[in-house]
Amino acid sequence: MTGENKEILREIWEGKLPIRFLLADDEVSALEQPESLYLLVPRMSYLPLVTDKVYKHFIRAVNQDCIEEMWFEFEGQPLKWQYPIGALFDLYWGNNVLPWNLIVHFQKFPADEILKGGKEAAEFHFISCIKEADSLKHKCHVIHGLQKKDHKQLWLGLLNDKFDQFWGVNRRLMERVNDESFRYVPFRLHQVDKPFLQELVPTIKEDGSCGNFGDLLEIALPEAIDEEGKIKKGYRIITQGIEIPQNTDLQWMSYHLSYPDNFLHVAVLTDT
Amino acid sequence: MADNEETAVPVESTTSVTGEKKKVDLLLKSAGDAPILKKKKWSVDPDKKVVWVIDFLRRYLKCQPSESLFIYVNQAFVPSADQSIRNLYQCFAADGKLVLYYCKTPAWG
Repeated sequence: MTGENKEILREIWEGKLPIRFLLADDEVSALEQPESLYLLVPRMSYLPLVTDKVYKHFIRAVNQDCIEEMWFEFEGQPLKWQYPIGALFDLYWGNNVLPWNLIVHFQKFPADEILKGGKEAAEFHFISCIKEADSLKHKCHVIHGLQKKDHKQLWLGLLNDKFDQFWGVNRRLMERVNDESFRYVPFRLHQVDKPFLQELVPTIKEDGSCGNFGDLLEIALPEAIDEEGKIKKGYRIITQGIEIPQNTDLQWMSYHLSYPDNFLHVAVLTDT
Repeated sequence: MADNEETAVPVESTTSVTGEKKKVDLLLKSAGDAPILKKKKWSVDPDKKVVWVIDFLRRYLKCQPSESLFIYVNQAFVPSADQSIRNLYQCFAADGKLVLYYCKTPAWG
């Protein structure tokens, strides 16, 4: 389970979500409610990267005097653009209907809940995450060896949905240095209405054996694990739309299931 | 700056010393052209977000609205503004302190 499986990398990269965008009722100033817009968007991407069409489609239907930054809402929850779309979907969708219905807003930007965004901010955030991830994996040794043009290649690969362009550089970030596993796995555990969790979880345990996803949960989310080390009833733990078996090797998982920002984004869902 | 100003702003009053919520130590260091703080070590509620530290520094350093302020962890990366101090402390603190560098122009490419 340690070598690269290109087929899986490609399947993960090609994951797409159907989204139906609707303009918020109270922001329609045109005589008629504009039609919904349907898009199939990459799970791996970010909302500001795939919503130019949404902006153009709805902008003429709103009062031109009070346009702020465009933002999106799902069932009352403003969506944070800095999480990959797939991570947002896994966290909030909750076996609802498809397409995923998102409300588009141009007014009343909820600045206390979400950050101001845009493509430039998204690029800066994306590269910063990759640097953070490399500091966890390789003490920044790989990122220090990359140049500005490599950063650009990662970004453009994501922006233009070009797998080979992205992985041409990302492979270096995902490789072992001096044949050693990652020091720590870059991951974020997302929960509704709580800040995300991030901890130091090594890929190799103290006894020298390889850590698995269950070990990660025991360290970062002990309340979800029962006495036998199994995920408790009432919890569903998902990444990339999949409930990951607890015995999945962490090094393998980090390589194959991380988002382009080099983090695993895991949604922790509870029945309550 | 006056001493009372230094202690009044960042220390949280929500929990007592004996309270369950344990504060963590931040070391705020300037980089590039940013002014140096007289007091560098601060005790902070770990539930605070990075954006709170940025806002605090902006006020403390009297940044103009047009000026940018960047924060780096370990001279390595810019943390997300919604990242909690708790997560950063757990992952990147050394010797019981989380070192954050602040600067007005991006210091590390």
